[in-house]
Amino acid sequence: MTSTKGTVFNIQRYSIDDGPGIRTTVFFKGCPLSCVWCSNPESQNLAPELMHRDSLCKRCFRCVEACPAGAITVGSDGIVIDRDLCDACGECVSTCTHDAMRITGKEMSVDEVFDVVRRDADYYRDSGGGVTLSGGEVLFQPEFALALLKRFREAGFDTCVDSSGQGDTEGLRRLIPYVDLFYFDIKHLDPKVHRAETGRTNENILRNFAEVAVSGVPLAVRVPVVPGFNDSVDAIADIAELVAVHAPRATVHLLPYHRYGQQKYAMLGLDYELAAAETPSEEFLKAARAIMESRGLACEIAV
Amino acid sequence: MTSETLTRESGTIDKVAAEEIRSVVVMTDRLRKLKKEWEDAEPQVYVDDTLLFTQSWKETEALPLDLRWAKAFAKRMEECPIQIRDGELIVGSLTKFIRGNNVTVAMKPREILAMCESGRFDRKLSDISSTAIDPEDLRKLKEDSEYWVEHMNPVNYVNEALREELGDSHFDLMFDRGMIFEGRAVRENPDRGLFQGWGAFGGGVGQPSADVINRGLNFVIARAQAEMEKMDASGAKLPGSASAALRKYYLLKSIIVECQAVITFAKRHAALARELAAKETDPTRKTELEKIAEACDRVPAEPPRDYWEAVQSLRFLHVAFWKESSDRPEVPVGRVDQILNPYYQQDLEEGALTRQQAAELLGAFWLKIRETENLVTIKREHRAAPGTLLPNVTLCGRDENDRDLTNEISWMVLEVMRQIKLSEPAVYIRYHENMDEKFVLHALECNRDFGGGNPAFLNDGLGTERYLVRGVPKYDAVNWNASGCLGYHLDCGEHMAGSFNLNQAKVLDVTLHDGFDTRTGKQLGPHTGDVSRFTTIEQFYEAWEKQEDYFADALRKHYFIWWSSEIANSPMSGLRAAMHYEDCIPAGLTSREGGARYKVCSASWVGDKGITDVGDCLAAIKYLVLDQKKVSMAELLKAMDANWEGYEDLRKMCLNAPKYGNDDDYVDDIYNHVSKRSQEILQSRPDPFTGEKPLLFKGAAAGHVTHGKAVGALPNGRFAGTPLYDGGISAMPGADTHGPTALINSATKWSHAYELAGVALNMKFSKAVLNTPEKLKKMAALVKTFNKRGGWHVQFNIHSAQELMEARKEPAAHKDLLVRVGGYSAYFVDLPPELQEEIVERTMHEVG
Repeated sequence: MTSTKGTVFNIQRYSIDDGPGIRTTVFFKGCPLSCVWCSNPESQNLAPELMHRDSLCKRCFRCVEACPAGAITVGSDGIVIDRDLCDACGECVSTCTHDAMRITGKEMSVDEVFDVVRRDADYYRDSGGGVTLSGGEVLFQPEFALALLKRFREAGFDTCVDSSGQGDTEGLRRLIPYVDLFYFDIKHLDPKVHRAETGRTNENILRNFAEVAVSGVPLAVRVPVVPGFNDSVDAIADIAELVAVHAPRATVHLLPYHRYGQQKYAMLGLDYELAAAETPSEEFLKAARAIMESRGLACEIAV
Repeated sequence: MTSETLTRESGTIDKVAAEEIRSVVVMTDRLRKLKKEWEDAEPQVYVDDTLLFTQSWKETEALPLDLRWAKAFAKRMEECPIQIRDGELIVGSLTKFIRGNNVTVAMKPREILAMCESGRFDRKLSDISSTAIDPEDLRKLKEDSEYWVEHMNPVNYVNEALREELGDSHFDLMFDRGMIFEGRAVRENPDRGLFQGWGAFGGGVGQPSADVINRGLNFVIARAQAEMEKMDASGAKLPGSASAALRKYYLLKSIIVECQAVITFAKRHAALARELAAKETDPTRKTELEKIAEACDRVPAEPPRDYWEAVQSLRFLHVAFWKESSDRPEVPVGRVDQILNPYYQQDLEEGALTRQQAAELLGAFWLKIRETENLVTIKREHRAAPGTLLPNVTLCGRDENDRDLTNEISWMVLEVMRQIKLSEPAVYIRYHENMDEKFVLHALECNRDFGGGNPAFLNDGLGTERYLVRGVPKYDAVNWNASGCLGYHLDCGEHMAGSFNLNQAKVLDVTLHDGFDTRTGKQLGPHTGDVSRFTTIEQFYEAWEKQEDYFADALRKHYFIWWSSEIANSPMSGLRAAMHYEDCIPAGLTSREGGARYKVCSASWVGDKGITDVGDCLAAIKYLVLDQKKVSMAELLKAMDANWEGYEDLRKMCLNAPKYGNDDDYVDDIYNHVSKRSQEILQSRPDPFTGEKPLLFKGAAAGHVTHGKAVGALPNGRFAGTPLYDGGISAMPGADTHGPTALINSATKWSHAYELAGVALNMKFSKAVLNTPEKLKKMAALVKTFNKRGGWHVQFNIHSAQELMEARKEPAAHKDLLVRVGGYSAYFVDLPPELQEEIVERTMHEVG
């Protein structure tokens, strides 16, 4: 079982925004959604990818010669990477003496992940923390997730799963007994709007939400508040209704949209569609919180 | 006040009291005005004290050294200009300026003369601005310098003793040559003046004693007088000779002279306050001035009657030490909460004081401390200290029955620090895992609002343990405080500023060259083999250990001769002996000379810098040369000797080799091995003065810059001449990329931590890491785990705007700067310019 492997793009220690206490967050790579506001675009593809940090690039162009696939060329301002040719072999990374190249994503076994996670056991104990699986999408690699969660449970670590909710319901059902806390995203209740901005409708997500809600596992609902998408009273009220009916004891986290992921798009050679969007106003966030609270829900605005 | 204000159980204060302390307004109109005056004041060179010192020295030519010293101190206390500024509550200044630089020309005449001639006086606390001087003062200072250049001790007794005992080649190991040893720029700076090495007292530094504040200086004077009468009546009865008796006699006399001088200084302030009160038309201020007069009449001669007098007494004693050792001003303030709390509680109970008043008085004291500046008299590139006066404040800790000593003043000191926003004094918390979590959260919140690394957390158990293992009974072992630069000392002894350190990175550099030093072109160590022929890491260890042992032996001799020649040639301070009257009066010696209660008090520190660098270097060799065989040792040596020029790829491989600070056992095991072995080697020979296991010190708060200058390029990818890692247990800058828990794990894998002082873990965070109560709790848990794992000293730097601006200019040097926003984190250098700007603005909180 522990020979099960999965693709991970980051294991972040001293993670303090992903559940109670000090945690280690394992970020799964690969996501079935493609939300336009995604702040971790490197998490979307299952395959490893090359990231180029232009701020560190000294324009020595040694990577151009080093690339066996001929994917890197000299452009008008720095290098240009042909993403179709690049197979993330990493030759340019070892050539670059300025750390401007990096491969994101790595196949890891359960043992390898566990070996990192166990190192902070002292901190989990003193802080009431544990380990969080996040992504990308955890349900996108259900066997890997299950094997990890079982291993963490054996070691006595508190577990949290942070999911978009998109994924095979049977796979989710098998995880539930090994999860101490769910972070579950609800983005919009209108399937059309949902599909337009995330690439998928929300039927599967809502079904999975109900599944988690009836399981009795503690649950926090995370709502990314994105201008032009769900920053309306109606959209928020719909979500409040859903949560109040299915999971009245859940806490709602409002996550205001921010642009901090923007540069990562450039590093991956992607376009950033939301370049003009602003962070939602504090006024609106407070109004949204009031809506949640009017339905008897505990609600926090993330800062 | 009612019983709810009383401390209910040890270390936990009443909730209502805590809330009241957290809501006091430290920056009252009065303190805002005083702080503004300080901010607006131009730093000035202050010459009155040095002129008085010289005058006294001329008048006392025929007297014994100890008494001359006492009289030179008394002259300054009795005749220096004093002032009470409008609005001040706590009085007693080092200089007559709001920002004054005191100098004692006799200590560094040539340097001061050079400054007079160039017209530029560099301030210690700033590298960019110099300080002003009045033209008439400049003339007098120049005259004073010329006098001392002509009359100073022409022989450098420290250097001559070293030369006599160890030979001229010994200097090849020292600061300006091979720099195997840390140390003062002895040869670069051969004219310290009247005294050599570490100045007037060698390395010793005094500080106010709680016991003496409580009893009053008159009590100590009476004890010294009684001892003199006893000697008169029944003889000195000292082992040895008449000279010991004579020295004791003069020390007793110095105690009386110096204590009386401090009392006179206080009474002069009382008279001035009364004079001002008589003229004052505002009735409120008139009452304040009358209270100041009453307090200055009373303390520090007699026991304080209330909290105000206790603060005033502490101020007088602290400034007295500054006055006395103006060339070595790192005087700790001490355990302020333990000193002041009894008076504070008594006043609260009697209804004579409110928390608001107490906080304002404490703030007034803080501002007085910050008035003092100090001139840089050592060439900047040779400086070992980071440019601070180190008036360290220590809080909390436990007593001999393991009861927590946190009290309301502990809370209040932090609140004052948070609101007054002064870069000094630095605050140290003696932390242990059973402390009230609410206090720890308060401390972290103050840390966040303050910004840079204040307060620091010290491991209370370890601090005490180091004395217990040297035979100090628990009731004394628990009474210690932070002092100097990352040092600490027992209350019944004094701070030893001197330390004798091995430059470990240099020892490795020499090892890799078979004992040869490329800097001096000399064979400094023994031949330990051509490393390019080595095939196992054990061979490297063996060669390095031989070099280490050779230099550790030389260092011990160096320490013995240097320290003893300092002691033999410098005066004993009556003021410092007065603080330890119980031991120093019967012994007739000060703490450093062996008059303290325990042997450990008269030992200096022995230690090293750069052992983390050594761990990374050997790991790179093991990884690249021995295991992966990516490069030969001969090739690596060539690249190092070329300072990586033409070897950029190889350098990158070296930089990417496993690095300490990432919880990577591959390198951490190597680091642990060399760290443990170097400690064993340094402690394999007893301290030459006490015969005990030497006290170890790994301070590298700033010496890493000067030490790095003498070290060639190293296998960790470091360039020649660049700084070593700082802090004693910090990682290579930018190389610890796995977060704070990984760094702590790397730093606490060893089992020999209890022997190490001076190691500070500097951690950097952005404000967002502490911006909610929940996150503060997580940080508190981090401190707890650090402590439980045996970490000694941790401090958190909350990113300042300046650091972030530097990161914008120099992204390559700040690749590790992590910014967290919401549930997302990014490397600062990856953010687009306008977002960087936004974060810089958000982080803006300046500290003066």
